[in-house]
Amino acid sequence: MTDPIQVKPIISLSGVSKSFGATHVLKEINLDVNPGEVVVLIGASGSGKSTVLRIMAGLETTDSGQVWVNEVPLHEARRAKEIRGHVGMVFQQFNLFPHKSALGNVTLALIKARRMSPAEARDRAMQALERVGLADRAQHYPSQLSGGQQQRVAIARALAVEPGIMFFDEATSALDPELVGEVTQVMRSLARDGMTMVVVTHEMGFARQTADRVVFMDKGVIAEQGEPEQLFVNPANERTRQFLHRVLDH
Amino acid sequence: MSVQLLTSSLAILLQGLVTTVLLSVAAIAGGTLVGLVAAVLRSFGPWGTSRVAKVYIELFRGTPVLITLMFIYFGVSYFGYAIDVFAAGAIGLSIYQGAYIAEIFRSGIEAVPKGQWEVSQILGLSRPQTFAFVVLPQTGKIVLPPLVGQYLSLIKDTSIVSMIGMSELMHGGQAIVDRIGRPVEIYGLVALIYFVVCFPVSQWVRHHDRRRLS
Repeated sequence: MTDPIQVKPIISLSGVSKSFGATHVLKEINLDVNPGEVVVLIGASGSGKSTVLRIMAGLETTDSGQVWVNEVPLHEARRAKEIRGHVGMVFQQFNLFPHKSALGNVTLALIKARRMSPAEARDRAMQALERVGLADRAQHYPSQLSGGQQQRVAIARALAVEPGIMFFDEATSALDPELVGEVTQVMRSLARDGMTMVVVTHEMGFARQTADRVVFMDKGVIAEQGEPEQLFVNPANERTRQFLHRVLDH
Repeated sequence: MSVQLLTSSLAILLQGLVTTVLLSVAAIAGGTLVGLVAAVLRSFGPWGTSRVAKVYIELFRGTPVLITLMFIYFGVSYFGYAIDVFAAGAIGLSIYQGAYIAEIFRSGIEAVPKGQWEVSQILGLSRPQTFAFVVLPQTGKIVLPPLVGQYLSLIKDTSIVSMIGMSELMHGGQAIVDRIGRPVEIYGLVALIYFVVCFPVSQWVRHHDRRRLS
C-alpha cells in the first residue's frame, strides 16, 4: 500500500462528463482513489463536487467516460446495479427512515436486502450503533434525536452493510455548529481505521487534518489536487487561492 | 301517523341503513385496493400500464358516478348475464372512487422525499422493497386525512345506487315518502342518519390530524 503505483485504484473515473440540460456540470473528469485513501472534494457550490460523488455512488449516470467503483463498471447501465449494497453514503439531509427507530433504521436493509435473521441483524446493528456511540439510543425515533445523533445513526446504518467505500455528501452542512464535532469525530475514526472515504465538505479543518488528498473542483473540472498541507499552504492554482481565501477568512 | 306506520317506516330506514353501511364498507375496501394499484402503476408501472392507469383515472374523474353505475348494471345484463344490484353498486363505486383514491395515494407517494429512495437504493433494497417498507408506511400518515375525506364522500355516494333500484337508506326514505308523503320530515331524517354516520368519522380524523401535527 505504500507504493501508490502498485495499488489498483478502488475508484477510477476517466473522461467523465455530465450535463443537466444545457448546463455542463462535469467536463472530462479523471480521478482515481486508492483503497484506504481519504479524498476530500472541495469547491464552491455548483462546482460539480456533489455530482462526482453521486456518480461514484451510482445515483447519477454519466453522459460519457468510464466509472469503475469496486470493480463494477457504473457506465454500463446493465451492470451498474451491482454496486448497490456495497458502498455506503451519508447525505446532508440524513435521510433516516422517520417511521423506524434508530435500530430499525439500521436493521431494515440487513433483514430485507441481506436476508439476515432479525436476531443476527440486531446484533450487527447494535455493533454499528456502538461504533458511533449511540447504542443507548437504539429505541429512539429520528424525531427524538438531535441532528448530530441522527447523522451518526445514518453513518451506523451505512456501516452495517459493511461497505467497501463510504461517501459523505456535505454530511455536516445541515447541522448546528455545536453538533458538527461529534459527526466529524466519527468520520475521523473511520479514516483512522482504514476506510476508503470520499468526502464532500465545507469543513476545511476536517479536510486539512484528515484527508490524504484534497481535490479542488472549479466549474466542472479538477483545478488542483494534492496533499492537504501543500494545497492549503501553497496552492498552485489562482482559483484555489481565491476559494481558500474566501472560505478561511471569515 | 299511526304507530304501526311509524314503526314499519323506521324498520325500512334501519334496514336501509344496514345496506348502506355494508355497501360503503365493500366499496371502501374495493376502492382503496383499486386506487392503490392504479397509483402504483401510474407512478412506477412500465410505460403502457402507466398510460392505462392515467386514462382510467381521468375517465372516471370526468364522468358522473351514476353513469358508471348504469353502465355496469345494465351493461352486464346487455350481454346476457345477471348482476346483483348490490354487486353492481359495490363494483361501480369501487371503480369510480378508486380514481380519486389513486390520486390521493399518488400525491402521498410523491410527497415522500427522493432521498428516501436514494438511500434505500444504496443500502441494497430493491424498488419494490423500498416502496413496501420505506415509502408506503410514510405515505399512510400523509394520505390518511384526504383518504378519509374521500371515504365520507363515498358513503354519501351510496345514495345514488338507489337510482338503479338498490334498497339502501335513500331508497328506504323514498319508499316511505311514496307511502305517507311528508318529504321534508322524511328526507330530513334520512339526512340526519347520514350525518350521524359520517360526523364521528370526520371528527376522529380531525382529532388524529391535530395529534399528528402537534
